[in-house]
Amino acid sequence: MKGQLIDVAVAGIRQLTPRIREYVLAAVDGAPLPRPAPGAHVELHTVSPLSGPVVRHYSLVGGAGLEDDAPDRYRIAVQREDRQRGSAHIHDTFAVGTRLKVSRPRNNFPLDLRDSRSLLIAGGIGITPIYSMLRSLVRRKRPFELIYTGRAAEQMAYADDVARLAGASGRLHFSGETAARHLDIRELLLRQSDDTTVYVCGPAAMIDAVHAAAGDLGWQEGRVRSERFTAGPSPDDVPFEVELRRSGRTLGVGRDTSILDALTVAGIEALADCRRGECGLCPLPVLEGGERIDHRDSYLSEEERAAGDTLCICVSRLRGGTLVLDA
Amino acid sequence: MNSITAIAAAPSPLEMGRFADQNTPLVRDCWYVAGFSDEITRDILARRLLGVDVALYRTLAGEPVAVRNRCPHRSFPLAKGRLDGDVLVCGYHGMQFDPSGRCVNMPSMPIVPTNANVRAFPTAERGPLVWIWMGDPDHADESLIPDTSWLASPGWKSVRGSFHMKSDYVAMHENLLDQTHFPFLHPGTVGTPEFARSKLDVRQEGDVIVIYRSLKNAPPPGIYGVPMGLMERRVDRFSEARFVSPALHTAYASVTDNEDPSGKAEVYRFNITHLITPETQNSLHYWWFNSRDRRLDDEAADEFLRSASEQAYLEDVDALEWISETVNADAEPQFDLNFAPDKPGLLMRRSIFERAAAQQARAY
Ligand code: FES
Ligand code: FES
Ligand SMILES: [Fe+2]
Repeated sequence: MKGQLIDVAVAGIRQLTPRIREYVLAAVDGAPLPRPAPGAHVELHTVSPLSGPVVRHYSLVGGAGLEDDAPDRYRIAVQREDRQRGSAHIHDTFAVGTRLKVSRPRNNFPLDLRDSRSLLIAGGIGITPIYSMLRSLVRRKRPFELIYTGRAAEQMAYADDVARLAGASGRLHFSGETAARHLDIRELLLRQSDDTTVYVCGPAAMIDAVHAAAGDLGWQEGRVRSERFTAGPSPDDVPFEVELRRSGRTLGVGRDTSILDALTVAGIEALADCRRGECGLCPLPVLEGGERIDHRDSYLSEEERAAGDTLCICVSRLRGGTLVLDA
Repeated sequence: MNSITAIAAAPSPLEMGRFADQNTPLVRDCWYVAGFSDEITRDILARRLLGVDVALYRTLAGEPVAVRNRCPHRSFPLAKGRLDGDVLVCGYHGMQFDPSGRCVNMPSMPIVPTNANVRAFPTAERGPLVWIWMGDPDHADESLIPDTSWLASPGWKSVRGSFHMKSDYVAMHENLLDQTHFPFLHPGTVGTPEFARSKLDVRQEGDVIVIYRSLKNAPPPGIYGVPMGLMERRVDRFSEARFVSPALHTAYASVTDNEDPSGKAEVYRFNITHLITPETQNSLHYWWFNSRDRRLDDEAADEFLRSASEQAYLEDVDALEWISETVNADAEPQFDLNFAPDKPGLLMRRSIFERAAAQQARAY
């Protein structure tokens, strides 16, 4: 299984906006890292003293302007969330030299190389995969249009670089401090040619709005591609305990940790592949606590969820208390 | 002690630039030919290109598609599956991929996995050729596809053929830039002794290496003189050969007949297009076209040019396969000698070496 993690160290840090910091990660052995395709992300694995192991997904920026990063480097941009969460841990503790692990790149948001025309829509930190797509389109001299929205220029990472790279095909949209000036998505989609494919990454509400507008216009499904980290953290996540009845062990699962990661850290090998609730390899039988499961996978059926006797340990959580697993 | 070793290991500043050979990593960031257009159909074709197994097919709308010939699930060769409309269906567990490589269905799963893509390669069709980019897809700029417009032009008529060869593409390019082998390896077809002794000029234009020569008032070579009916005449000859890219060598020849009964000088032009795609480090696919701008409807000329070209290229295939066998089987290494006529080949080998060194050796 593709569990292989790669050892990297922080090689550079740059404050991009008041809340967003860029980290350049370098392979510890200096060997070339797998080449990420535009839109790809990595899982970043680190350990927070507060909440234990932290796994976060970050899109790979790929380089600066038209330039690729050196083959042994990955570049990510991390936005500090408001609470004491994984991103805060990264901002507070990562310094040049900090060691961590990343997964091989995965891509749930690939840019179709065959597109005759692309519309890229980025909102806020959603610019990171869009930036790598932009670079690819410019390099291959493909026609595109890019809209990058945010409250104000100072809060938008890479705004200058993106505007320069996109040239006349790009536009920044400032929604203002209260986010009142909405982007007119319907109008934007209406003036696209029939062969345009749309790539959108940003806040969930924006992604939903683009899908909805495309649906209203009768667009064929698949013309709008989006990146959603369904497995991502939610503000209501709480720590809980997992009891493994057969092995007689009890583990704590922090707010930024999945059950799968807590098991792995404890040296218990569970089957898993996708780590995003899709492949169906990781579900374990539940003995107690099933009524408090917050299912976040897309694999289990409605009946299986309702029964509460199994869960995908890679993404699903408990709303507090103890979960007893038959493991 | 250490510092002495370090000094000894450092390259001498007097050492010459490096030259590509069969062991140099293949230049991947380049458009190569994947096949003749009519080879790529609704029947899925499996072909190894630059060491990677590729499945090639056409969509219902006629666009060529290239994806890795290896299912991301259990490595089943996708070319052994089938097409359902534009969707490629794996023959093992039925995973389905659209032409961009995205998985659109996994029948044994309740949902479509979002991360289950097969790698797709950029392709582009130009006249009778389908081109493919096996390197970093981010750099697959279609404006870098070399010009072969004469292959689709009504002013030209082409005959064509193809070979598979157990030799490396560097040796193949060197053979094409080397005209001193003509009288010996191809005595019956392209070699005439007068031409072989005429002065050969070389120039380099960026990555392109050009050799050219001309000869006035000489007998024509059989390969052109016979089909054009010029064997009894004295003609002026000009020829130019170009290493255009690791994928393409073109040769242009003109024969000017000053004794045409019309009283006017008549010019006969020929373009030879050699398309080379490494299959592995030590084998290659080779497609060729012999195009002319005169006697377009002359079927006897077609037949003559096809068989004469084929014969000459078969001689090259034999020679290069014998050389490759010798180089790879012989236990004692040898540094081959170079002579003045090898200059174009050395320039080409340096160009390929530099391109290979500049590209990143990375997994995708
Ligand atoms: S690892 Fe794939 S569903 Fe959990
Ligand atoms: S090997 Fe292709 S679907 Fe399983
Ligand atoms: Fe030859």
